[in-house]
Amino acid sequence: MLDPFATLGLEPAFDLDLAEAERRHRDLSRALHPDRHSQSTPADRRAALGKAIEVNEAWRTLKDPIRRGEALLRRLGVEVEEGREPKPDPAFLMHVMEQREALAQAGRERNEARLEALVGEMRAEQARAIAALSLELGRAAANGGASVHAAALLSRLGELRYCQRFLDEATMLRDELF
Amino acid sequence: MAYSEKVIEHYENPKNVGALDKEDPTVGTGLVGAPACGDVMRLQIRVNDSGVIEDAKFKTFGCGSAIASSSLATEWIKGKHIDEAGRIQNSQIAEELNLPPVKIHCSVLAEDAIKSAIEDFRQKRAAQRALAADAPATAAK
Repeated sequence: MLDPFATLGLEPAFDLDLAEAERRHRDLSRALHPDRHSQSTPADRRAALGKAIEVNEAWRTLKDPIRRGEALLRRLGVEVEEGREPKPDPAFLMHVMEQREALAQAGRERNEARLEALVGEMRAEQARAIAALSLELGRAAANGGASVHAAALLSRLGELRYCQRFLDEATMLRDELF
Repeated sequence: MAYSEKVIEHYENPKNVGALDKEDPTVGTGLVGAPACGDVMRLQIRVNDSGVIEDAKFKTFGCGSAIASSSLATEWIKGKHIDEAGRIQNSQIAEELNLPPVKIHCSVLAEDAIKSAIEDFRQKRAAQRALAADAPATAAK
């Protein structure tokens, strides 16, 4: 997989300036737009189109904290692959299970206030997981990737996915009920 | 992606959904998750004195295949001795449900859940036995 940071010409960092990344994406997309290459050779047109797809994909990857984290982990030589993740912390898992049950109940009771409260709690949880991942990735980058705590990094990333899954579920439930 | 008929059957009509009291000494609870997708699965067993699983319940927040895998798992382990239940392989679940390769991890989750529930029950039982073995010695003092 291509390095999305390199594609957009950005310094690899978890806490990157998203507005700047979006600007790069927009500028590059404009420059690569087929209308600007109508006079080019077919080979050049194909190359521009290929590059435009790459630029779009890089932006999609970087704007999502989970995919951005994965891209940084790959840069550090950590394999991100399904089935290789460390087992989640039992207490965390228990918490996720309880929250999912509470969300399902809020749905059954059509209790919008309760649903929003649960979403708020999970957003806070997500923010904590993002901060923890950012800290660990910063540490790994600071020592040049010399001692990458792959398991810890993958655990944080896993926690983020549980949070995301909960929030996706809540969005679906909200659209369905209210 | 099309689900197999058996998956749909379990998904629309899941068996043994619910919870057992996790504080009950005869109940083992297995809680597992799939970090790749954020699915969570809880599987519980009630075991009698001879080590036979008398009841099993599950609750799964995940895709149809994950729900079907755990539903099937509870059906299979009911009435089995914990040693036998612990030998159930994910491949058997995947085969029974005709799971496509991308959904194999759902059956892995179900196998993990069975094993982890049995492990939880064994730990509880060992702790109780240790306590029971200790009690007469303390009383004799």
